[in-house]
Amino acid sequence: MLALILALSSGVVGGLIVAVMPQARSRLRNLVVLVFSVSGTIFSWQVALMVFAGENFRIVGEFGGLAWSLDPDPLGAVFGLIASTLWLFTTVYSFGYMAGKHKQRTYYTFLLISFSVTLGVAFSGNLVALYLFYELLTFATYPLVIHERSSGAVKAGAKYILYNLSGAGALLIAIVITYGWAGNLDFAGGPILANCLKNGLNWLLVLFTIGFGVKAAIMPLHRWLPAAMVAPTPVSALLHAVAVVYSGVYGILRVVYSVFGHELMAELSFSSMLPLIAAFTILVGVTIATQQDVLKRRLAYHTISQLSYILLGAFTLQPSGLTGAILHMISYSTLKVTLFFCAGIIAEQTGEIKVSKMGGVGWSLPMTMAAFGIASLGMIGMLPLNTFWSKYYLMKGSVAGGRWPLALVLIASGIINAVCFIPTVVTAFRGKSVQPNAERGGRVALMLAPTLLLAAIALSIGLWPGIVWPGVQAVVNWFF
Amino acid sequence: MIASITANLPVFVVIAPLFVAFVLPTFARRMRLVEGLVIFVETLGLVGAGYLASIVLRQKGIPIIYQLGGWPAPWGIELEAGSLGVFFLLVIAGVSLPVSLFAKGNLTEEVGSKERVARFYVLYLLLGGALAGMAVTNDLFNVFVLVEVATLSCCGLVSARNHPRAAEAAFTYLIMATLGSTLVLGGIGFLYMVTGHLNMGFASQELGRIWQDYPHVVWMAVSFILVGFGVKSAIFPLHVWLPDAHSTAPSPASAILSGLAVKGYLICLLKFLYSVFGPELMQKFAVHRILALVGAVAIIAGSVLALTQEELKRRLAYSTVAQVGYIILGFGLVNTKGLTGTLFYLASHAVIKSTLFLAAGAMLAATGKKNVRELAGVGRKMPITMAAFTVGSLGLIGIPLFSGFIGKWYLLLGSLEAGNILSVAVIIAGSVLCAAYLLPVIRGAYFEPGPEEDWKDPGLPQKIALILLVAAIVILGVVPGPFLELAKRAAAELLALQ
Repeated sequence: MLALILALSSGVVGGLIVAVMPQARSRLRNLVVLVFSVSGTIFSWQVALMVFAGENFRIVGEFGGLAWSLDPDPLGAVFGLIASTLWLFTTVYSFGYMAGKHKQRTYYTFLLISFSVTLGVAFSGNLVALYLFYELLTFATYPLVIHERSSGAVKAGAKYILYNLSGAGALLIAIVITYGWAGNLDFAGGPILANCLKNGLNWLLVLFTIGFGVKAAIMPLHRWLPAAMVAPTPVSALLHAVAVVYSGVYGILRVVYSVFGHELMAELSFSSMLPLIAAFTILVGVTIATQQDVLKRRLAYHTISQLSYILLGAFTLQPSGLTGAILHMISYSTLKVTLFFCAGIIAEQTGEIKVSKMGGVGWSLPMTMAAFGIASLGMIGMLPLNTFWSKYYLMKGSVAGGRWPLALVLIASGIINAVCFIPTVVTAFRGKSVQPNAERGGRVALMLAPTLLLAAIALSIGLWPGIVWPGVQAVVNWFF
Repeated sequence: MIASITANLPVFVVIAPLFVAFVLPTFARRMRLVEGLVIFVETLGLVGAGYLASIVLRQKGIPIIYQLGGWPAPWGIELEAGSLGVFFLLVIAGVSLPVSLFAKGNLTEEVGSKERVARFYVLYLLLGGALAGMAVTNDLFNVFVLVEVATLSCCGLVSARNHPRAAEAAFTYLIMATLGSTLVLGGIGFLYMVTGHLNMGFASQELGRIWQDYPHVVWMAVSFILVGFGVKSAIFPLHVWLPDAHSTAPSPASAILSGLAVKGYLICLLKFLYSVFGPELMQKFAVHRILALVGAVAIIAGSVLALTQEELKRRLAYSTVAQVGYIILGFGLVNTKGLTGTLFYLASHAVIKSTLFLAAGAMLAATGKKNVRELAGVGRKMPITMAAFTVGSLGLIGIPLFSGFIGKWYLLLGSLEAGNILSVAVIIAGSVLCAAYLLPVIRGAYFEPGPEEDWKDPGLPQKIALILLVAAIVILGVVPGPFLELAKRAAAELLALQ
């Protein structure tokens, strides 16, 4: 119980402390940020491990006659683990990336507050709490999106708010309807709508899908995500490849398995449409990604595609599909953050943001490009990397659900992924090095260390998938 | 002793501000005494309202009835402090106390000389008394008298600033509002003609018996009253007077006009619709459909108009047009949840909009800048003011933890119960639009570099006023407990007539 409270509050408390600290004390500020990130991470690990061990803790409250509850279950614990671990990496990366940049205080304040809010999404125990944190996440991350303060950033920020608030609106309607039909919004104790056969269930599912689909960047609700790439790279890496978009994905997993339940889902006609939407997003997203010249935009469209892998797994309604989804949640996040970190290092050290001009970059940034290469292989789904296992289970789930063409979609997407990333890696090492090695100095080290460590983690999960298996198993057993 | 206080409290909360209003001009030159008296009487009003509320809650909704002059109904005028009345009394007192604190020592600049300030306070108290009267009255003609008192004092408040634009706005308002009053009077006349009663309860009983004999007269009465109060409470498209009036008035007056005065007319309309016509008749005449439709149109149109406004106070004024739409839409949902939502939303909007207007006024006073664009960077220099503005905005958008969300939640529940999908969509669309017109203000204030000027938060009483209002927004959003209970009970009582 205490661990849960501490995990949730570290970010907010740290953020408020940073907010009142003098702008000039950057070393002290970094220390405070680090302390609170570490404490948030440690306590969310503790919460997660306790949840996997079968402990149950619940905090219940009420606002305005609406009961909310915090009640982490295995799915929430997995999301909390991913978010908090990557948060720590990103914080360290930010110390390097943000050094000497403007408005650092605002940046770290909202980075820490978003940490709390994201954990709130992960650990929420009913739809009211989930909605609350889901909505707050939009506002907590908004200052990070417009960090550049340029007119482009402001426009992107407006788009960000508009898309996310509209999604939250659809979600609110869906929650109100659910409340009206079931009279209960708690995730614990089986699917909320389990015994609730009504005519409008399909439409309710549509509303929920739109509501969470905005943050999960399901096409055609994805437009805000490429626009949000004006944010600093650590933000793009953490929030727009993992935390914010995962809260949408997490929401959809909740809807499928905690609100409707896989048995009821199987009876709904719209739920057979959902894998098709996911497949569409996978293929179109990655195809658009190959055409983007700006590396961060390429990564953004790639994110859109990869998020739908997870959704596809969830929509199969099979234990193996869900296994694949959870595995992919873990695997993809490590690799994608690595890719973004590399893009950030390249942009900072060489000034290149376009793929077409990255010829020879590899010679001046060998370790960065090595990490980039590893992560690229992972995106294709090659064996030594962790995504191989998730893709394997995703395909298994598709076939088990009687939809083998979806497995073909995954294979096709792997090939397009290869087209998307391998040429980048190859060009980076083509030609003679003209610039000296740019990977020296404390600032680069701060950026490089988390990048390499993440690539190593991705590799080790790929080699020994057993280390994440208990968590994945716990989630699957929880719902099936 | 206690019993006699309790018995007389419903009339006391109305009479006290009126009485002070009449004696105030005698102290016109002693500014501090005037301000002290006003704050004292507002505090008294809040205590009285709170006490009445606690009694009504304890009595499980049995109203406290006061017969003016000792004449029982149907002959005399009856004041009824029931759940609805007490609810609105609390809103009035809860908003006007912070507003009068905000006005303390702050008005001379906006209004002109000391005498004008005293005159301002006279009108302010008259308006407060009239609104309190609307909350508790149970008599048709009494409603008309109170509406007139309120209208004329509003008109004076609008013209309080010594500025040609203010005079013009006040004149427009006077003409429109008088038109409205005439229609209301006409409607009351029709009702009296067919029922022979002025007491709401008796009129309602009689109406239920004879409406089939005079359907056209009842139609006329309904439409007169709807349009009459529609003008006064600025229901789109009858809102044309509001943006000028509310944006040119001095800031405390804008807060009261947008926050409370409009709500007073809405409460009167609610009483006419539910206590006189009754839910059954409303449905027979399809009034609820008209209301829901008009409300939906007002939400969208008001929000879109607000989006196009450059001037901050005008943007807030148009936002009032949109928010009134929510309340009207709620009137059209003839079920407990919808009415609870609309009442709670009414209270929430009263608090939020006065916060926004006061914060905007403080910014205007400190910076001299009217337009949203020119207020860049104000957030760091006036932290408390801008924090209040931010909380108010989030509340108006309907973010959980702030009061607006609970109102919207119940409105959504009510809309779904009524099977009104259009209003569900409009409620949500209104929230998004509201974010679109308020968030740029906040973004500019916090995230854009401002000019190198020395803008400061207002003085201590003003800060306290803002903090009180912000506290109210958060408390209503997190622990609305008894307040929500009152709203629920009021809604149930309004519907129990059928």
